[in-house]
Amino acid sequence: MRKFIYIFILLISFVFQGLAQVRTISGTVTDTKDGSTLPGVNILIKGTTTGTVTDINGKYSLSVPGASTSLVFSFIGYKPLEIAVGDASVINAKLEVESQMLDEVVVVGYGVQKKSDITGATVKIKGDDLTRQPVLSATQAMQGKVSGVQIISSGSPGSAPQMRIRGTGTLLGGTHVLYVVDGVLTDDITNINTSDIVDMNILKDASSSAIYGSRGANGVIIITTKKGSSTGGKLKVNYNNNIGIRQASNLVKMASADEYKNYYQAATGTSLTGTNANTDWYKTILRNALEQNHNLSISGGNENTTYFFSGSYLNDEGIVLQNQFKRVTLRSNLDYKLSKIIKTGIQSSYANAVNENGFNNLDIDENGNIGGAFNDAYRAPPIIPSMVGDKYGNVSAFNGQVGNPVLDIKDNKVRVATNRLQGAGYLDISPFSFLNFHSSLGADLLFKQARQYNYKFLNDESTFNVAGGNQMNLQSFLANKYVQDFKWVWDNYFTFSKKFGKHDLKLMAGTTAEKFQEIWIYGSRKEVPADPNLWYLYNGVANSSQNDGRGDKWTRNSYMGRLNYNYNDLYLLTATMRRDGSSRFPLKNRWGTFPSVGLAWNISNENFMKSQHLFDILRIRGSWGVVGNDQISTDAFINTVVPNLAYPYGGSSSTATSGSQINQIKDPNIKWESTAEYDFALEFGMLNDRLTGEVNYYNKKVDNALINVNIPSTVGDADHLILTNVASIQNTGVEVMLNWKNKVNSNLTYSIGGNITLNKNKVIGLNGGEPILGGNIGAAQGFTTITDNNHAIGSFYVLKVLGVFQNDDEVLNYKDNKGNIIQPTAHAGDFKYWDKNSDGKIDDKDRDFAGSYQPKAYFGLNFTVNYKRWDFSMDIYGNVGNQVYNGKRAIRISGQDNIESALVYSRWNGKSNPSQSQPGANTGNLLASDYFVESGTFFRINNLTIGYTFTENLLKKVNISSLRIFATSQNLFIIKKYSGFTAELQGGPLDSGIELSSYPTTRTVAVGVNLNF
Amino acid sequence: MKTRYILLFLSSFMLFSCTKSFLDVPVQGGATTSSDPDLAMKLVTGSYNSLLQGDSWGSGDVHGFAFVSVTDIASDDADKGSTADDQKVPVGDIDDFNLTATNKFAETLWSGHYNAIGTINQALLALSTANIDATTKAKLIAEVKFLRGYLYFNMVRMYGDVPLVLRVPKDQQDANNDPAFQTRANKQIVYDTIIADLQFAANNLPLKSGYPIGHANKGAAESMLAKVYMYLQNWQKVYDLTEDVMMSKQYKLVDYSILWRQIGDNCVESIFEIETGSFNNSNLGTNNYTVSQGVRVGGKGGWSDLGWGFCNPSTDLINAYEAGDLRKDATIIKIDNSGNHTGTVLWDGFRVPSADSVQNLYYNYKAYTSATKETFANANDKDRPKNIKILRYAEVLLMNAEAAFHLGQDMNTPLTEVRTRAGLQPTTATLDAIWEERRVELAMEHDRFWDIVRQGRASQVMNAVGKHFVPGKNELLPIPTSQIQLSGGKLTQNPLYD
Repeated sequence: MRKFIYIFILLISFVFQGLAQVRTISGTVTDTKDGSTLPGVNILIKGTTTGTVTDINGKYSLSVPGASTSLVFSFIGYKPLEIAVGDASVINAKLEVESQMLDEVVVVGYGVQKKSDITGATVKIKGDDLTRQPVLSATQAMQGKVSGVQIISSGSPGSAPQMRIRGTGTLLGGTHVLYVVDGVLTDDITNINTSDIVDMNILKDASSSAIYGSRGANGVIIITTKKGSSTGGKLKVNYNNNIGIRQASNLVKMASADEYKNYYQAATGTSLTGTNANTDWYKTILRNALEQNHNLSISGGNENTTYFFSGSYLNDEGIVLQNQFKRVTLRSNLDYKLSKIIKTGIQSSYANAVNENGFNNLDIDENGNIGGAFNDAYRAPPIIPSMVGDKYGNVSAFNGQVGNPVLDIKDNKVRVATNRLQGAGYLDISPFSFLNFHSSLGADLLFKQARQYNYKFLNDESTFNVAGGNQMNLQSFLANKYVQDFKWVWDNYFTFSKKFGKHDLKLMAGTTAEKFQEIWIYGSRKEVPADPNLWYLYNGVANSSQNDGRGDKWTRNSYMGRLNYNYNDLYLLTATMRRDGSSRFPLKNRWGTFPSVGLAWNISNENFMKSQHLFDILRIRGSWGVVGNDQISTDAFINTVVPNLAYPYGGSSSTATSGSQINQIKDPNIKWESTAEYDFALEFGMLNDRLTGEVNYYNKKVDNALINVNIPSTVGDADHLILTNVASIQNTGVEVMLNWKNKVNSNLTYSIGGNITLNKNKVIGLNGGEPILGGNIGAAQGFTTITDNNHAIGSFYVLKVLGVFQNDDEVLNYKDNKGNIIQPTAHAGDFKYWDKNSDGKIDDKDRDFAGSYQPKAYFGLNFTVNYKRWDFSMDIYGNVGNQVYNGKRAIRISGQDNIESALVYSRWNGKSNPSQSQPGANTGNLLASDYFVESGTFFRINNLTIGYTFTENLLKKVNISSLRIFATSQNLFIIKKYSGFTAELQGGPLDSGIELSSYPTTRTVAVGVNLNF
Repeated sequence: MKTRYILLFLSSFMLFSCTKSFLDVPVQGGATTSSDPDLAMKLVTGSYNSLLQGDSWGSGDVHGFAFVSVTDIASDDADKGSTADDQKVPVGDIDDFNLTATNKFAETLWSGHYNAIGTINQALLALSTANIDATTKAKLIAEVKFLRGYLYFNMVRMYGDVPLVLRVPKDQQDANNDPAFQTRANKQIVYDTIIADLQFAANNLPLKSGYPIGHANKGAAESMLAKVYMYLQNWQKVYDLTEDVMMSKQYKLVDYSILWRQIGDNCVESIFEIETGSFNNSNLGTNNYTVSQGVRVGGKGGWSDLGWGFCNPSTDLINAYEAGDLRKDATIIKIDNSGNHTGTVLWDGFRVPSADSVQNLYYNYKAYTSATKETFANANDKDRPKNIKILRYAEVLLMNAEAAFHLGQDMNTPLTEVRTRAGLQPTTATLDAIWEERRVELAMEHDRFWDIVRQGRASQVMNAVGKHFVPGKNELLPIPTSQIQLSGGKLTQNPLYD
């Protein structure tokens, strides 16, 4: 490979070898501000591809043909500088720092804009900032870096983190953020190799995302992948990797055998004898896992053709037995300049991912039993051995309900393989300098193959150390599910851009059309032999077959336009309009209009500000926009027949005749949810741009939010609910971002950045919709959340614990005003609940609000230090004011279930521990109460990285242009109040923040290299 | 320059390339009423399917655990069973008549029945326009009307006056505007509709032997109609209809013990039953009907049990059997409590461990299914399908006897026929003797509670077994609070429920 590259380089350099008269120019490049020398500055002879780079001391020397006119100096973070050559032999250049905050180019959807021209709330994150972390997806790597964007991570390999931009804005609609990857619209970017990303632009407010109309309500993230650059034919190769170890970062310590026996006796009055095992069940199912990620890219090009090829391999062993995620990606991004006015190109990527025995295999129905294993590991008594020889300890024979967690994992194999092809080709025609036509056709093709196999085993002594119990599977089972999705999107738009004196005008107008099609097919059979080579339906019993399959299809067609007006870089106006048509809605609601307008005033460019030196940048902006959420099922408005509601006329040994029912009443007027948002912001750069910052206020109101309205049973609707657009939701918030960066001297630079978001979420009107009860976790708990007027979506709604009955007299004295004993069946050590409605009994009517999963604030802190060749960075992430429901503790339903070690000691215990907060030893089945609601506040060192970059001189000998080695740690350290595994809990809008059997958060320590040649 | 204008011209075309029909994408995969010509036929079978609802804590129950609760557990035949705390609410409340208007089972029975009635009304609507020959169409209409008559019969017995929904609303608005959907019709009017539906079925359906198995037929319609008239105490009608069924020569009594096994499904004694079986290679039955009544592990445990252990035959029922009554052992699974640990061996050889490993002492044999000697798509499943006998010939004989008592006709012959099959000697027929015979003959068959209410002695019978039955209140279930609220208060509550 290496040899091939050398030959390739050699060939290319032959092609571009000049023949003209040559002389040498040398010089030093320095920073205008502090005069420090700048190493690594690119110097190009204008109009050619010949150039060089300054050395460690900022010096360069370049052979220049006689005909050359000028040299172009460029360096990231500095304004490019062109100096005429003349007949000088020494040219020293002074580069001026680019005002980073405002002069970046930002991708805004159907076009680009300078950051300084933006009037909405957008944030750009560079790819380099994302690749630092040993995580799967770019979304995860963004955590804590952007205000207004809450990212809830998952430890499960291959799974995407959940993202909420500026609060929860829907109840029953979809919550997916819209990603636009090189123009292709998607809601899943786990197929994108983070190393391939140039930058991500997050469109937070409605005025920015309104250009995506009915799809913008959950926020939009535009991802641009890397392109080759004109390197004069020079091949650039980058290889980077990281290899590390993951482990569970916070485990809940369960009772040991002795603690368990002690508690068991206290709870049940009977003592357990004759058991010697002392099993830590989490230990038996968890492991230290190896994680590795390798990326190789080759890029280059000349003035007319550029290319970027990359390949990556990621292997993430889960921390749970048998769990593994592997991904291979390939990318080819090509750009051609066909003539002065026509450019074309294609970006394409392929990803193959295999997720084995995962926790949540990408929303496909077939899950491994990891969830069951986590639940069982929490509840399985420690007195049962995990294994006795090659036999499993029989947990269910003792406990009745809980299985052996190791067997839970090993009794099945689930594998989900995903192949995804995604790409877009574009054509740019600029017949005049002020006019450009862009056409782009994107496609996204997804194949998903899921396979589940359940082994056959009995509850006898061939499997267990003792026979009995409920854990068994009488027949082996094989299921396959294949899903195929295909989507295309075709954008066409004109961009007109011209400056008339102080008036700078930019207009965009265009159309886009999109079509999606899905088909899935499922089949299963029983009694398939256990040999994996025989895991085909063919080998199963034919008359155990089941199959199913469905499809979906929708189209969208839209018109969009944008006007940007800039008066003398002082006053800025952006106005957009999108008209969206969607096949998902009934004819009369098919089209919707989504306008937006934004204004900004660059105060720092005013004449009266010229004399001051405090602010480099000062601007205020305000915007308003309307966006929609159309993530509603395709048939939400039309009555469909439900097939296969069969009836076996011949009796219980007969096969049924197929029948159908029409058992739904639907709202024929379904439309999208619409969000209107105001955003006001102040942006500034101070002290020579060392201090930059931004403060945003937003007020976001969702109308027409989908909600189920209860209807009388007599109407004949099977679920007695009708989905309709009546609810309203409000999110208001403040975001603050501050960055300080300073170059102390040429050896030392550092930066400190922080951001914080305060969000308040509230249902302002259900408008006849039923309060939605959610988070039903079973056992004696029932539902745990309610979504109701004037409270945050999915607020916990449970009984309030007043204390613990210290003795039986207190039980008898706890009466309502009529003298009824409120908790007649309670005993000393039981919880005393608040009889909210004073009806003399404790029931669901006594529930009260107990906070919500939505944080009051979340924040990130980022530190970097560069000292000589060392670099160091630390990211902190945290949130404050959210509540977590300790669901796994709540569904302890039997005296045989294990108990947390801490509770063995903190429990109420008569006079020796007259606790008012912990109940006495009990056999579970506690009611849903605020006892299980815990603070979700946490503070986490998200990432800590230290790197060293080798000197060029050393590397030149081995033909390497740069080499950095680094060590990094993800989630090294956490401070949290919550007693469970993690306070970062994903979930739907109505039932988030409930810990049942979550994948534990993981800690990763990894090392890697980043190599360019 | 010219090429620039050409390019500009061409590219502008691309902006307007979408046609209007691009957005006309029909719903995929879900048939609509217009896209399936055989729909009417399928909706008839779908109507039968609605009898299988058993989502007692959710969308609706017709013959599931809620049905078991209000018919058997509520009666003096059975106790709640399981562990003391298990389903204290709502089942314990039903058992001891503590239930309130928010009782979940009272709510799901209401909604389950209206789900089924809605499905039937949809089928009737589709049948009215379906392109099927007139005779077939009349029979299909008769079948679903039979089902609707039966469902409303259950409704009046459970709730008294109920909304009488006999058509499909166009949409929610239409239902809001029609008082039929919101207000309770007088019980008498509901009974008139039940009689009309069942009479239509009796007039249009062939006898059992002339019609496919499992479908409603003339005998089923006449027997159901007889039972309706029995509740209305129209004894002449009861007598005439039962005589008609007896004269039809379609039915006779069989070995009592096999009636609740697969071989007894649709046997010659069967008049109408809820059919269960398999579909798509999986079980198809009434949710939780068998698993809720299955033998439950308890005490020492150590075995894989059969269910949740609800609906235990009461000692009062056990004592009701005369010595030598063959029906007792066919009705009750008695757990071995002798201390000898012999266990209880069931008809298929399955051994239930003795009392120290079992939660309760008695279980309903009529809800037992055999994993080994019966055929199921998925024998692994504890909730195996079980046919539920709604009407069988023995009940026709007993209705005939009761009518004969009131009309001064021969009541001894039919009563003796029933007793002989049970291995008992003839007895002197009295009204009490007929009622007691009904009790043991139909024990655990979801008749007892309504039967004693019909007999007008519910309070007396219930108080005798120590239940807190309030006369004038507990004869009926409460109208669900949720439904009263959704009607905007137009639905009224039954007496004495707050």
